[in-house]
Amino acid sequence: MRLSRAWPAALLLVLVASPFFSFNPFYQRVAALVALAAISASAWNVIGGYAGQVSFGHSVYFGVGAYAALLVFTKLGLPPIAGAPLGILASLAISVIAGLPTFRLHGHYFSMATFAIAALAELLIINWNFAGGAIGMMGPATARSPADLLFRSALPYYAIFLAVLAVLLWLTHRMQRSRMGFYLRAIGAGERAAQSLGVPIRRYKLYALLLSGAFTALAGSLYAVMIGFIDPDSGFGVLISVNMVVMAALGGAGTLFGPLVGAVILVPLSEASNAILGGGSSGAAYVAYGVIIMLIARFCPGGLAEWWRVLTRTRRRRAA
Amino acid sequence: MLLEARGIVKAFGAFHAVAGADLLLEESELIGLIGPNGAGKSTFFNCLSGDARPTAGTIRFRGTEVTALPPAAHARLGLARTFQVPIVFDTMTVRENVMVGAFLRHPHRRAAAAKADEVLAFTGLAEQANLPATALGTPGRKRLEIARALATEPVLLLLDEALAGLPSAEVEAAIDLVRRIHESGVTLIVVEHIMEVIHRLTRRVLVFHQGRVIAEGTPAEVTADPAVITAYLGRRAHK
Ligand SMILES: Nc1ncnc2c1ncn2[C@@H]1O[C@H](COP(=O)(O)OP(=O)(O)OP(=O)(O)O)[C@@H](O)[C@H]1O
Ligand SMILES: [Mg+2]
Repeated sequence: MRLSRAWPAALLLVLVASPFFSFNPFYQRVAALVALAAISASAWNVIGGYAGQVSFGHSVYFGVGAYAALLVFTKLGLPPIAGAPLGILASLAISVIAGLPTFRLHGHYFSMATFAIAALAELLIINWNFAGGAIGMMGPATARSPADLLFRSALPYYAIFLAVLAVLLWLTHRMQRSRMGFYLRAIGAGERAAQSLGVPIRRYKLYALLLSGAFTALAGSLYAVMIGFIDPDSGFGVLISVNMVVMAALGGAGTLFGPLVGAVILVPLSEASNAILGGGSSGAAYVAYGVIIMLIARFCPGGLAEWWRVLTRTRRRRAA
Repeated sequence: MLLEARGIVKAFGAFHAVAGADLLLEESELIGLIGPNGAGKSTFFNCLSGDARPTAGTIRFRGTEVTALPPAAHARLGLARTFQVPIVFDTMTVRENVMVGAFLRHPHRRAAAAKADEVLAFTGLAEQANLPATALGTPGRKRLEIARALATEPVLLLLDEALAGLPSAEVEAAIDLVRRIHESGVTLIVVEHIMEVIHRLTRRVLVFHQGRVIAEGTPAEVTADPAVITAYLGRRAHK
């Protein structure tokens, strides 16, 4: 019984450490992208999973973070990572401005409103010539200083992303056990009852969105730092939001490790299909996500976390 | 005066679900609120608890005007309620459900858990504490709603048909629970359809009909009141 609890942890440790012992650049790159996707999916999870407010507009945060990084580089000549705090600040402002009115909406209406805001934001960016318009912006071509965080190998990025992910998961873990975690889950499970028990629901939704948006913006900045290029589609595209939703839902929305598990499964799949089919296969990605969403909705609405719980419970019962 | 509601109106379009209702309640009372289906009892509760903003009228609770305040503010002031159709947090265990209520006065997890366990024992749910809330049947869900409300340490508790639909064995336990809540110092308003329950629980009853209080008195007095009989049975039956 002890063993059955220990082996997933051991497996996880091996998986997390493996890129450092691999000399395969493709594998290392995919690992970095998994960690990055896990950051944004875990950030989405705070408001979308725990609080049950399914946002389809988180691309706005990601895009703001990514654009902030390359704007401070192209306009001010600063290292891109210097844009991260600005992106986070902008994300906080967006949460207050966009969050408070949309929080009045429930269920699908909230999702649709966030989706509309994101679509509008992408349009604005396409037409914002100062920030590269439809073409986008490039990062530094060669490292001017170590602060540019320009590495040939993906390993340093992997290490950085992993550290950010660890901080986010630790915060989420703390939150999950605290009053805020209970209040968010209560809001997700029944707003009316939550209110009647003294939960100030709009305030707690705002807290959740501030935290969620800030880390998503940070993920966007980190993406721009690593890839060194951003355009409206890779910063503000619909698929960015959908990615977060699908990863969290697949692994288990509202669970600590669910989004990470979703990223570990989906990112390698999409990278492999990109490598095989050549880039720009986003049409295939849409189809694949549609199928995955339908399968989750039909067979395990709680995501893989639910299967895992059922599995361990029956095993524990058998052991007892 | 603990609660003072004057001239409460709640309109849905042209229809007045509550049409000028008054209620004065002293601390540590236990009153019954009865009335035929659609009389406006639940809507009145919604107004009292901040869940619905009254179209007209004022509500004062513990000296504070609360008419336009949100439900969370009512809870903070010490007003708790249950729902006619229980809304339990299905994604949580029984204990976690109660902890949500306990967090109102106990911000720290350990204190909230201790409060929740105390309430679970008081309401007879201790054995189910670690079950998912979905494992409970209707009686359990109603009990859980009461437990959750008690965990907020209310001064006034509104129970909306907490006993309706319970099997008779459960009814006895529920009556006992309501009595113990009252004895612990909580003021109560209970909406109930079963007259026998009302008889056994309270000495003061308000009768609602078409959004108004049409009679008030002891259970024996109101059941003998011609206006009440007409309200329940319709005009023809009274003739
Ligand atoms: N949100 C709403 N919109 C429109 N009409 C409503 C709404 N809520 C309640 N009503 C109507 O108001 C009237 C009073 O309803 P309410 O639920 O308060 O009655 P009640 O006394 O609690 O009845 P019951 O004993 O069946 O629970 C009913 O006719 C109902 O249809
Ligand atoms: Mg009712």
